[in-house]
Amino acid sequence: MNAATKRIRVWDLPTRIFHWTLAVLVAFSFATGKAGGSWMDWHLKSGYAILTLLAFRVAWGLVGGETSRFAHFVRGPRAFLSFAGSLGRKAHRATTGHNPMGGWMVVFLLVILAAQAATGLFSDDEISTTGPLAEKVSNAVVAKMSSFHYYNGWTIAAAVALHVIAVAFYQIALKIDLVRPMVFGWREAPASDGETAMGSTVLAAILLAVAAGAVYWLVVVFPKG
Amino acid sequence: MKKSAIAALVVATVALPALSQQMKAENQVKYRRAAYQLMNLNFGSLDAMAENKKPFNKDEAARNAEFVALLATVPKGFFGEGTDKDTRAKPEIWKNRPDFDAKMDKMVSEAQKLPAVVRAGDMGAFKKQVHDVNEACKACHDEYRAKQQ
Repeated sequence: MNAATKRIRVWDLPTRIFHWTLAVLVAFSFATGKAGGSWMDWHLKSGYAILTLLAFRVAWGLVGGETSRFAHFVRGPRAFLSFAGSLGRKAHRATTGHNPMGGWMVVFLLVILAAQAATGLFSDDEISTTGPLAEKVSNAVVAKMSSFHYYNGWTIAAAVALHVIAVAFYQIALKIDLVRPMVFGWREAPASDGETAMGSTVLAAILLAVAAGAVYWLVVVFPKG
Repeated sequence: MKKSAIAALVVATVALPALSQQMKAENQVKYRRAAYQLMNLNFGSLDAMAENKKPFNKDEAARNAEFVALLATVPKGFFGEGTDKDTRAKPEIWKNRPDFDAKMDKMVSEAQKLPAVVRAGDMGAFKKQVHDVNEACKACHDEYRAKQQ
């Protein structure tokens, strides 16, 4: 660290916890889904936890820390293209928060994970594992949901791989460390870079509790009714 | 378990290989599907007990296990010529028949261990056997069953 740089906060604690918990649960869901058998019980529980996290993240995208808000990182096509063009240049600098390409990756991941969690609720492997809402819809719908759930799992695997490759590209080719800020919350930035507002951890805990309650109702209470 | 129901199932199962030889393809698909569906029903009950989603009831579990063990032997005889239409069974079944048959036999042998394991009443062994049957089913579903018709 020298005089021209300072530590600035990038990601608030809720966003970081969300990110790493989601990463672990997605890997766990993929592995248990492929393993099958008695692992399917854990596969369902992991799915409910992911659904909870996603519901939290959508709310956090509206009321969370500045860099976590959709309004901060969902950018138009012009910003996307001009950013893509700048990647090859030497002068490429890290920004605080998601860049215009990474922002869309976040949206894409949230959408395909939400679709995965939602279709899982209506899926049936026709061996012994049935999603909690499969009884509520016709078997034609269950077949479509199960099929989508299977193929979308591979879409997620590909998207996660692309996400990791992009981070590795930053790390190796651009020499910009994106991993440490996502772990510790701050990065070393030029003194001229501005600070952004972090979200309230208490508010995050309340939102997470509400999301967990809603998912519990959806997968436990509602199916019995 | 109703003894007569078991007896009827045994008779039906024993008579199957001969029947399926002259049965039209459409009906072969119908009966193998019926066997799988009833396996699904009974095995689902065992799985729920293994995962503590419903209380373990030895009589019910024994009945479920007997059904699964008997029904498991049914489908193999109903994958004859022409039974690759209007089904989720993939054409690969008939291209890799020895592998398909090996997986089918594995499923049957795992399923047939269920009744004794239930009678023995050891929950650890029961859970493991339910898991093994589940995996044996999945082996074919992954490779030889289309996700949608």
